Amino acid sequence: MNRSLVHAALTAAAFGLLALFATACGSSNDAPAGAKKMSFELTDAGCVPNETKAPAGPITFEVENAGTSKVTELEVMDGETILGEVENLSEGFNGSFSLTLEQGEYTLYCPGGEDEKGTLTVSGKLDTENSPQVEDSISQYRDYLEKNATELVAATEPFVAAVEAGDVEKAKSLYAPARIPYERIEPVAESFGDLDPRIDARENDVPAKEWSGFHVIEKALWEEGTAAGMTPVAKQLLADVEELQEKVKTVELQAVQIANGANELLGEVSASKITGEEERYSHTDLVDFEANVEGSDAAFEAVQPLVEEKDPELVKEIEADFEDVYASLEPYRKGDGFVLYTELSKADTRKLAQKIDALAEQLSQTPALIVTE
Amino acid sequence: MTPITRRRLIASAGAGAAGIGLGGATGFLVGQETAEAKSDGTGSVAFYGEHQAGIDTPAQDRLHFAAFDLVSEDHAELQEMLREWSRAAAEMTTGDMVGSANNVQPAPPDDTGETVGLLPSRLTVTIGFGPSLFAHRRLGLRGKRPAALREIPPLPADELNAEESDGDICVQACSDDPQVAFHAVRNLARIGRGTVVMRWSQLGFGRTSTTSRSQDTPRNLMGFKDGTANIRAEDTEAMRRFVWVGDEGPAWMRGGSYLVTRRIRMLLEIWDRSPLEDQELTIGRDKYEGAPLGGAKESDPLDLEAEKGGEPTIPVDAHVRLASASANDGERILRRGYSFTDGVDESLGELEAGLFFICFQRDPQRQFVPIQRRLGSNDALNEYIKHVGSAVFAVPPGARQGGYVGETLLGTSG
Repeated sequence: MNRSLVHAALTAAAFGLLALFATACGSSNDAPAGAKKMSFELTDAGCVPNETKAPAGPITFEVENAGTSKVTELEVMDGETILGEVENLSEGFNGSFSLTLEQGEYTLYCPGGEDEKGTLTVSGKLDTENSPQVEDSISQYRDYLEKNATELVAATEPFVAAVEAGDVEKAKSLYAPARIPYERIEPVAESFGDLDPRIDARENDVPAKEWSGFHVIEKALWEEGTAAGMTPVAKQLLADVEELQEKVKTVELQAVQIANGANELLGEVSASKITGEEERYSHTDLVDFEANVEGSDAAFEAVQPLVEEKDPELVKEIEADFEDVYASLEPYRKGDGFVLYTELSKADTRKLAQKIDALAEQLSQTPALIVTE
Repeated sequence: MTPITRRRLIASAGAGAAGIGLGGATGFLVGQETAEAKSDGTGSVAFYGEHQAGIDTPAQDRLHFAAFDLVSEDHAELQEMLREWSRAAAEMTTGDMVGSANNVQPAPPDDTGETVGLLPSRLTVTIGFGPSLFAHRRLGLRGKRPAALREIPPLPADELNAEESDGDICVQACSDDPQVAFHAVRNLARIGRGTVVMRWSQLGFGRTSTTSRSQDTPRNLMGFKDGTANIRAEDTEAMRRFVWVGDEGPAWMRGGSYLVTRRIRMLLEIWDRSPLEDQELTIGRDKYEGAPLGGAKESDPLDLEAEKGGEPTIPVDAHVRLASASANDGERILRRGYSFTDGVDESLGELEAGLFFICFQRDPQRQFVPIQRRLGSNDALNEYIKHVGSAVFAVPPGARQGGYVGETLLGTSG
């Protein structure tokens, strides 16, 4: 519960994002290292100066009320959008905020002044190189991605072999484990066009003729109790997961995407696992549930230092919430996996869903903090 | 695009109607009620004040009520949530969006957005604490539970369902626009995530009570005028005597009140098949005019002594007789309920509809409980209703600006 903390950091900082590249650096309440400082005074006339220039990059606006009761606020606007502001500066008070601005003309707005609007002209190019810390985050997550893609192929191979051999019991026992690595990295798979639906579409997600992947085989094994006719589907599945393994090696990643991916995985849990819709024949939804949470956790761990810098309190809360979610799954553990979804009561699923909601609400604050890195 | 606030839209629409709090903070200073009971949407009701709004506020048309349970027994966390709730409620009641980060591309907006472009619509947000809140050992509130705040005891004709009863904390959001009321509950639930979970919630679509002299008496789903004899907010003496907690303590409740909710399912199919005469004898009023039996006009006093052919004109088991102050040792309550419907009764295939009864009083044990005990045992209406949900909450006094609702209980320090 510290939305207010996150927001305190965001109000001044993140309003600036609209004007930024996602990879731009340095806009925060604390003056970013190397930020250019610009001083303004509020007077009866408005903002002083009200015509000024700055190089592209992080800028800290230091604003002081030099003795006017008419003007108490300075806003930097891009067109009609407020990028950053200080408000409620009475006589003698000062305040500051930071923005990273790219080339362009911005409005300096001091409402109540004789001349309310001025212009800030920003020129030059933004330095959009990633910091070493961001590069570390990306490479840590890339390792996780490649490791799971490799595991996915390794776990799908024996599953496919059992399907081809017509060994229904063996195929059933290998089904849920094969899906674990996929569920950990699903948001990345989703970025490759139709690869995700080919591997993971549920019935009716796609036209019947195009339905392929894990869930076709799941239906045959559990509903019909046979693997007959599944060999072509199984072969295609293996080819698709191998294609995924190749693609993740070269996928371009940004820190903010990784943070978004952590969120999306929890969205997956809320939307389809906790409702029992993902594994509608095998009812192994809790296996996917845990895999989604692990994937989300790994993505968060990768960007955690970037978030830590902005809001260490939030990091602590997210980590505690992850622990809470893992703990809430424990009572349902059975053998190598979990009890079937059908064994859960409404009270059980409600409790699990609420734990996920609590975690996701906090986690959803992280992408914005990373963008303002 | 300028960050849109509902307030800015109102300003640009040039709606200079009576006393809209346009100037941000200035809206809080002009007294609780800044617009008359006009429900054209432009009126706003100040969140901050001596009493919480939503009690003596002329009843709005719509309700969204929610009960929450605590999941974290952390005093500081509860304090922080209530502080944020108050801040958000104050923003919403003036027509502002919740929070400040609503235009940050990579962040989920603070406000969920469905009221952008809608008017304040006299939104009030009223927060209360259930008896179970005080039982959370680690919160350290056990000694602070007021004597008046006890679970409503089992009452005759109860068919209570635990899933739609009780709760640690409640939020009553009332507005003339259903979406504005829903938005308030949704956003507070979101802010509270991790600290509280929603236990149950109830939408109400039509007010069934009149709480101001400026309002007409509405009809409940039985087709009868309801709340004719209610306490009116203008009657400050009655409010002081029956609604607001005074010196009896505890100090943190002074200026507050106690809220009782009863989810009353009406068996409308049966009611609709009963003759008009029976309906009128059951209630004790004429159906269309609303006059008490034996009287001519709605406002006529109940004549409990009158007889017709040797029988009381208002039957001994008529609802109005049993609910009247004279039948209840002079005790009265401020009723503020809403009609509801929630689709189809799963087992019967009938309309799941009725009255979400809400009342405010100084002491439920002395007021609601004996009144309902009498009604539950004798009321002719019992044939057509079932009480399926029940809850009681201590509604602390209002907050001053910069403070929060609950501060009198939980304190100021972080």
